[in-house]
Amino acid sequence: MNTSTRPPAAGSGPPPPTTGTDGAPPGLTADTIADSAGGLTFDLAAPPGVRTTWSAALVLRLRGADAEEVRLPLGPNGAGGLRAVLPSTVALAEGRWQVYADLGDGHAPHRLLPGLNDLRSLVDRRPLAGIGRLGVRIPYTTKLGNLALRSWLRGPHAEAGDILVEPAGMTVEGRLYGALPGEGAHVEARARRTAGGGATVTVPLTADGARFSFTLPYAGPVGHWRGGGEPWDLWLVPAEGAPPVRIGRLLDDVADKKQIFAYPAMPVPAAGAEVRVGPYYTLDNDLALRVAGPETTD
Amino acid sequence: MQISFLIHNAYGIGGTIRTTFNLAHALSARHDVEIVSVLRHRDTPVLDLGPGVRLRHLVDLREDSPAYDGDDPAFARAAKVFPAAEGRSGQYSELTDRRIARHLRRVEADLVVGTRPGLNVHIARQTRRGVVRVGQEHLTLDSHSRALRLALRGVYPRLDALTTVTEADATAYRRLRLPGVRVEAVPNSVPAPGLAPADATGKWVVAAGRLARVKRYDVLIRAFAQVAAARPDWRLRIYGGGSEKAALRALIDELGLYNHVFLMGPANPLETEWAKGSIAAVSSSLESFGMTIVEAMRCGLPVVATDCPHGPGEIIDDGVDGRLVPVGDPGALAGALLSLIDDDAERRRMGRAALTAAARFDPARIAARYETLFGQLLDEKRSNRLRGALHRTRGALLSGAYTTKDAASAALRGVRTV
Repeated sequence: MNTSTRPPAAGSGPPPPTTGTDGAPPGLTADTIADSAGGLTFDLAAPPGVRTTWSAALVLRLRGADAEEVRLPLGPNGAGGLRAVLPSTVALAEGRWQVYADLGDGHAPHRLLPGLNDLRSLVDRRPLAGIGRLGVRIPYTTKLGNLALRSWLRGPHAEAGDILVEPAGMTVEGRLYGALPGEGAHVEARARRTAGGGATVTVPLTADGARFSFTLPYAGPVGHWRGGGEPWDLWLVPAEGAPPVRIGRLLDDVADKKQIFAYPAMPVPAAGAEVRVGPYYTLDNDLALRVAGPETTD
Repeated sequence: MQISFLIHNAYGIGGTIRTTFNLAHALSARHDVEIVSVLRHRDTPVLDLGPGVRLRHLVDLREDSPAYDGDDPAFARAAKVFPAAEGRSGQYSELTDRRIARHLRRVEADLVVGTRPGLNVHIARQTRRGVVRVGQEHLTLDSHSRALRLALRGVYPRLDALTTVTEADATAYRRLRLPGVRVEAVPNSVPAPGLAPADATGKWVVAAGRLARVKRYDVLIRAFAQVAAARPDWRLRIYGGGSEKAALRALIDELGLYNHVFLMGPANPLETEWAKGSIAAVSSSLESFGMTIVEAMRCGLPVVATDCPHGPGEIIDDGVDGRLVPVGDPGALAGALLSLIDDDAERRRMGRAALTAAARFDPARIAARYETLFGQLLDEKRSNRLRGALHRTRGALLSGAYTTKDAASAALRGVRTV
């Protein structure tokens, strides 16, 4: 079995490493357990010799923002380790949060390493449609092997589900949280680059309670194509005059959707060329449409 | 007992390294255990070895190390002891020949255990007298080239024991006739996962493995087209990376399964991913053991697997803790998956049975089997030195005879045997 670089698990397997890469005390590993409401529990396997004080805290730092920090009390978990809880009610700004443990011992906080992320309750997550503001936090492992969280905070939120790709366009099914589609509800596809002239293509929205669907014919965006690759971002306007809501896919355990939720691109005739058009998820897990000319490679 | 494992490279990633670490760690609870890594290319192992097991290397390939061996001229010359027909022979050299020979001549242990054919050859030929020689086969005899099989047949009689990971492969090695060599099947071990088992409520089928031809994920995806047609609320996740990714992606798109089948990429660790599923699927045409089957079972999943050589049929009790289906038959695979999808009670029952049955692969239980085997081998060696000496002489004579005969036939075909 060569699927992964999985180290032997806790339990009857070898224990976690006792030496860290950045000096003493050694690398601290955290297991996380997600609940379906959006809360996260962190359990730290503190190696012997690590002492904490009353001021010990789990520290979350927003990447790219100097001062943005959230501290959560870190106390004994009854099993010889340490526990901190991030309740769904604590709002985290959208972005990537690095996870540290401040043991309250006067040393700088320690970057945490990932243990087991038990995210099964996030798979097929279905919050109450009436939820005002939806918080999503998905633990993941960074390229350098550290524990981090991706966070989204949206209200209302338009969750994309199945997408049916056809030669002439796509049909997206989804669910709206924190609002109900009303009179004049529609979807806007907006050309991301100014080269597209800030073009917007509008299509009607069909709603059944919180569930919605819309069909976006490719002819609209393709009509604005002037060469190269053009991404179009998709916004749902719940009612005439209401602020638009970005359509995305957030309600599961997959931190990065782009490579995993992949869809076919269809050939569509455009001005003097054939372009390829298809939906994709952005690096922020928002739904977009790409119109790619014959010379674009991605 | 003092036990010394000899491994290709303990600093890499792979099934042999993981299973060797698990075994060494479990044995170290009661024995003195070391792992000797022929090569070392990084400072610390990727996989956790834990305390209690000593790890050392023979050839240092860390370029920033003062003891760097890569510029030794002997490192550039082809190996003479390590068989040329072995898959890793490109990484072996006159230098590894020399270092391994010196290690085996001086080794302070009751037993030495080789973890791949080329290293077993070294152990058979070069271990000092009085030390029990054990070879492990982590693949299978029939996965080796004819040239390698001939080389092994010539040298393996000088081993005291050879272990395989399946009974099927043990039978194949017994047919090879290795006089005086005890051939025994001991499966790989899988530790208990560090989280609660799956609860069989999620509508997900999970598969995991390299995206390689031999895993036949094309068959699984075609099977899932039938599953999705009957039960569109169920979906499939395939974990792993590999050369078949683009072809599988294209097949998913061609069959219009992009809302039902997901290529998840490599996952580490895997147990958290099994726990999200309710059924595991294995579509391989060949599994020398079937580590993923045991991993999934330890997470409480019933496994639907192809009854391919060699492992699945020895791990799964068909109809009790999983299902076995013919190789390369999407219809049969879909039928077995649907039988578990459509029967919640049966799925739960099989999942519980899988959890119970897979406990036999716990590292402590597998280590106990090795402990018994090693103890018996050591007793034989100690209690009857005369017989041991006779055995060795006979083994050497026989293996000499084989070597001569095989070398002669190999020479006719221009194959180098050793």
